[in-house]
Amino acid sequence: MGAHHHHSHRHPPAHGFLHRLAAGFKLAAALALILTVVLLPRGQWPALLVIAALLFALIFASRISGWFLLKRMLLLEPLVLGVAGLMLLQPDGLARGGLAMAKANLCLLVTLLLSQTTPATEMLRVLQGLRVPWLFVTTLTLMHRYLFVLADEAERMRRARASRTFTRGRRFQWQTLSSVVGQLFVRASERAERIYSAMCARGWK
Amino acid sequence: MNAIEVTNLKYCYRDGTEALRGISFRVSPGECIALLGPNGSGKSTLLLHLNGLLPEKINGDGAVKISGEPLAPDNLEKIRRQVGLVFQDPDDQLFCPTVAEDVAFGPQQLGLSETEIAARVKLSLAQVGLAGFEQRQTHHLSHGEKRRACLAGVLACEPAVLVLDEPTSDLDPRGRREFKALLREIPATKLIATHDLELAVELCARTIILDRGEIIADGRTVELLSDEKLMLAHGLERPHILHHLHPH
Repeated sequence: MGAHHHHSHRHPPAHGFLHRLAAGFKLAAALALILTVVLLPRGQWPALLVIAALLFALIFASRISGWFLLKRMLLLEPLVLGVAGLMLLQPDGLARGGLAMAKANLCLLVTLLLSQTTPATEMLRVLQGLRVPWLFVTTLTLMHRYLFVLADEAERMRRARASRTFTRGRRFQWQTLSSVVGQLFVRASERAERIYSAMCARGWK
Repeated sequence: MNAIEVTNLKYCYRDGTEALRGISFRVSPGECIALLGPNGSGKSTLLLHLNGLLPEKINGDGAVKISGEPLAPDNLEKIRRQVGLVFQDPDDQLFCPTVAEDVAFGPQQLGLSETEIAARVKLSLAQVGLAGFEQRQTHHLSHGEKRRACLAGVLACEPAVLVLDEPTSDLDPRGRREFKALLREIPATKLIATHDLELAVELCARTIILDRGEIIADGRTVELLSDEKLMLAHGLERPHILHHLHPH
C-alpha cells in the first residue's frame, strides 16, 4: 500500500476550477455553505436542492471523479445513517430523519470537495494566517507530516508479518492486526521522542 | 582551543545499560573524524551528548565542552547553535511539510529576519544540490534527497561543529559518492559516526574506534584501519580501498 497510499494523497496538478481558487476563499466559502445548510429550517427542500445542484456543478467543473467522491462518502456514511436512524424514533421521524441525512451528506460533500482540491500545506498556512492558536496549528502540521510515515511503517510491519504467516484464517489476520497496532503505538511514541530531539537540536524552545 | 573536548564521559540508560564508560577525546577546529564501532557500541549515545540532548537533565559536570565552553543548563541554546546534529533517520529530522519550511526551522528559532531566513534557505539548499526543491513535500522525497534536505536544515544554522550519525547508510552508490563529495566541501569541524569504512578513509584523517562504551583506539585512519587484528576484534574489517593506497 505504501506507494498507493502516497498516490491517493498527492494532489493532481491544479487543473480544475476549484483547484485554482485561493485556499482561504475556499475555506470561508465551505464554512458559509455548511452553516447555511445546517441552519436551513424544515421544509426548505428547494434550497437544499439548489445547493446540491451547485455542488454537483462544481464537481463537474473541477473534473473530480464522482466515483472517488462516492467511495469517500460511503466511508463516513455509517455515522450519518446512525444519527438519521435514531431520529426515525421521534414523531414525524421519517421527514426529520430524511432531512438530517440530506443535510449531513451535503456538509460531508462540501468538506470532501474542500479537502480534495486544497493541499493540506496550503490549508495549514491559511489557519496560521487566521491566527488560529499556534500550538493547534503546529500539532496539525506535525500530524499531517507523520500520518504518512506511520501509514508506511504500519504497512511495512503488516507485510513483514504476512510474509511469515502461512495460515489463511480471518481470525488469525485480525490477531496479527491487533499486535501490529500495539507495536505501531510503541514505535510512534519512540519516534515522537526522536523528533522532539531533532527539534531541540535545531533550537526549538 | 578545542572544538570538542570530552573528559571521562559516562552515561547509563534508565534500564541500567551502561552506554558510555568514561570516554575522553579532543577535537581541534577543522578536523574531520570518523567514529567507528559495532552496533550498540555507544556511537549514537555519544553524539546525542554533544548536542546536550543527553543526559535528560544536564548536570553541568563539564564532561562535554564545545569550543571551550562546558555544557550547562543555561548555555544549552548556545551549544546547540554551534553543534549541528544530523540524525540517522531523515524522517525524524524532516518534520515540516515542505523542504523550504524545514530548512527555515533552525534559522527561525535563531530569531533571524525574514529576508535573512530566505537567504539562508536558498544558500543551504544550493549547497546540498537541492536548489528548486523549496516547495516539494518532505514525505515525497527520495531517501537521498531526504538526507540532503536534513543536511541543508542543519547547515542553515551555520554550525561550527557538524555531527553526523551514519550519513551514508541506505544510500545507493551514487548517492553515497555525492553525499561524500558534499561533506568534503563543508569547512566545519566534522564528527561522523559510520559503518562506511571507505568514507572514513576518504574523508577523515583521524579515526576513533568505540566498543562497549569505551574508546578502543584513537589515531590516524589509515593506520588503524590497516590493523586487521584490531578491526576484526571490534566488528569491523580492513576496507578494500586500503589495498589501493600507498603506505606513507
